[in-house]
Amino acid sequence: MQDVVNQVINTSFGWGWPSWAIALIGYLIVAALLFGIAPFQMLFLTLYERRAIARMQDRIGPNRVGPEGMFQPLADGVKIFTKEDIVPTAADQWVHFIAPCVVVAPTMFMFAVLPWGPGMVPVDMNLGLLFFFAISSVSAVGLMMAGWASSNKFALVGAMRAVAQMVSYEIPAVLSLLAIVLVTGSLSIVELINYQGGLFISTRDVASVPDWGLGWFIFSPVGFLAFIAFFIAALAEGERTPFDIPEADSEIVAGYMTEYSGMKFGLFYLAQYVLNFLLCAITSIIFFGGWQGPGVGWLYAQAITPVNPQGGWVFNVLAGVLGVFYFLTKTYGFFFVMVWIRGAYARLRIDQLMDFGWKFLIPLTLVNIFSAAIWVGLTKWGAADGLAFVEGWSPLVRWAAAFGVTLALNLGAYLFLARIFAQSQDERARQDDDVLEQLTNVA
Amino acid sequence: MLKTEELQINIGPQHPSTHGVFRMLVTVDGETVTDLKPVFGYLHRNHEQIAEVNTYLQNMPYTDRLDYFNAMANNHAYAMAVEKLVGIEVPERAEYIRVLMVELTRILNHAGALGFLINDMGAWQTQLAFGMREREKILDLFESVSGARLMCNYFRFGGVARDLTADFMPRLKDLLVAMPAFIDEMERLLRENEILLQRSEGIGILPKDLALAYSVTGPVLRGSGVAYDIRRAEPYSIYDRLDFDVPVGSVGDVYDRILVRIEEMRQSKRIIEQVIAQLPDAQGGHINPKARQNVRPPVGDVYARVETPKGELGFYLVSDGSSRPYRYKVRAPSFINLTPLGDMCRGYKVADMVVILGSIDIVMGEVDR
Repeated sequence: MQDVVNQVINTSFGWGWPSWAIALIGYLIVAALLFGIAPFQMLFLTLYERRAIARMQDRIGPNRVGPEGMFQPLADGVKIFTKEDIVPTAADQWVHFIAPCVVVAPTMFMFAVLPWGPGMVPVDMNLGLLFFFAISSVSAVGLMMAGWASSNKFALVGAMRAVAQMVSYEIPAVLSLLAIVLVTGSLSIVELINYQGGLFISTRDVASVPDWGLGWFIFSPVGFLAFIAFFIAALAEGERTPFDIPEADSEIVAGYMTEYSGMKFGLFYLAQYVLNFLLCAITSIIFFGGWQGPGVGWLYAQAITPVNPQGGWVFNVLAGVLGVFYFLTKTYGFFFVMVWIRGAYARLRIDQLMDFGWKFLIPLTLVNIFSAAIWVGLTKWGAADGLAFVEGWSPLVRWAAAFGVTLALNLGAYLFLARIFAQSQDERARQDDDVLEQLTNVA
Repeated sequence: MLKTEELQINIGPQHPSTHGVFRMLVTVDGETVTDLKPVFGYLHRNHEQIAEVNTYLQNMPYTDRLDYFNAMANNHAYAMAVEKLVGIEVPERAEYIRVLMVELTRILNHAGALGFLINDMGAWQTQLAFGMREREKILDLFESVSGARLMCNYFRFGGVARDLTADFMPRLKDLLVAMPAFIDEMERLLRENEILLQRSEGIGILPKDLALAYSVTGPVLRGSGVAYDIRRAEPYSIYDRLDFDVPVGSVGDVYDRILVRIEEMRQSKRIIEQVIAQLPDAQGGHINPKARQNVRPPVGDVYARVETPKGELGFYLVSDGSSRPYRYKVRAPSFINLTPLGDMCRGYKVADMVVILGSIDIVMGEVDR
């Protein structure tokens, strides 16, 4: 953005403003844009979810307000704004008031490091990934505040569940990302996306691969396993079915937001949907290349960039549009998977959730980190680093060797852990497929 | 060591998953239920007392309101009771129509009950919507014969109010053609889903002896492994001529109750097919023309019971020779099946408690009369 602002103010108008003013204006524009985009995502996603799930349930869904029900979220917003804001007399007034803000604010911060297209990242932090997940954990504090301050038993139970769930599922999420970070050698989200150019194989692993923007991590065994683990953990982080335990409506009414009404309740909803969007976005960025796709890399190479100041601005626009298109397609695709799961599955119990996280996902992701280390060793190291035997292999052979070894390791670990986990569930598994034949007897 | 405290929570009377106004006074230790006391009575509306100031026929629509899911089955039990008291003959054709309606009710009830049960497990309405879609088709049929979808008020002393309409049989046959696919789909949803299995297997076990001690009936009892079905144990109407199986569970957990309900839907479909085959040969009309509706039964008392989808529904009537019952007592299956809830939930998690309640399949209109 600063390149563009600089281009407009200093080159086109020739005003010669100092660089700090350019930076300030650039950040202000981006921040204003993001504060518009974040609630818009929420509005869009609620409508999207309601329409999609209605299709699964043989219904039509909201279609009265505006064409195809497009203004339904706005109508809901108006409704929620005009509702009375009720604060229970027994509640801690201040904490009850602050809690929704504490939940919403981190989700807005997380947008700061989210790249939308080539060169379209608000802040290219070299610790972007760490920032993203560190900030996302803050909302757990807000949930606890909401639950505790409401002075309601349902809210308290819900908050306890929410915190327990978020804390335990952040571990597999971060462990699965650690494997990816090990491969890229960087915590910068932009660097992570740049790594995923290529065709099935990343150009950073094998330089001779054509750059079609398809060298996604999902195509490697390490990335695939990390993706599965991360997406499951993301469902738990975003409190989506089957892990919507903190707000299990059939058990504890609405969990930590039981005592909230009006726009405070709306803020919790906003936070939740924006978080879901962000989790889908980060999934698509880390494992599916974000804005990477056929054509974006080539277009961006012709555009005005610090590397190539002589480019044409048309290519900036084209690369941006195509990149954002790829990015949002992937992101909404993942959101559709979330909706799909919600339409199909029931909810797990809190102890089953914990069992699954600690006994299955965490060991699996730990093995995956080991695989990632092998991947890095085989594809990047040479005699100087201690792997003398790979010296002289061509990059493609080294990549194939790394692929084979990590695939075998991950598959083996998965099968082994799945067996152990199934055995630990044996006490409940008592019936199998031919049970109905036994059951049906003539009285 | 941290000191922990038990927490008392009121689940209900206003709660999303208590299936009406019902309160459970739950003591929880963390997430584990240590004690549960069901509290009824919020929907008490003096049903039995009102029935004693009405004439016998005026009570027929009131029985619809007991278990509003199964209006036909309630009608059947009450009609049987009065017919026994007065001594009214029911023509063969009317009996076939009655059985047809009651078995359709059974399918409708189980489709809804399974849907609501999965909703209690935390699914978001999809399975419920599938169940309700099937229920709608059956309600359409009810509407065509009785004029009402829910509160049918279709049975009369000595038969049923109207004969089947001309288009009833073709529509019923269409329904039966589509039904196996629905039942299979429901079964796949319930039995091939790891999460649902985890949530239902080994949960809410009601042992056989405890079930008998609480005099539980219906799918809950059969899920606990007791092959007791009034249609078999004490055949009424024309059930002795029909061929059907009584499915029984083995452990008595939520999963067994699910399986029993799925299989009962299949058996009901089997019964309906036999009824369709035998109906054209049945003697008589849809109602005994000699039967008076403003009955004045002789002095005496009677107990008549049927197997509704939820269990044994019995009507105990005492007549003092006037046109109004002297005493009118309902033995409601939902109410009696609900009493062992505390024993079933103890030791399980809060989330299981809701599922166990759902697996009993109650309607509060019948629990609090």
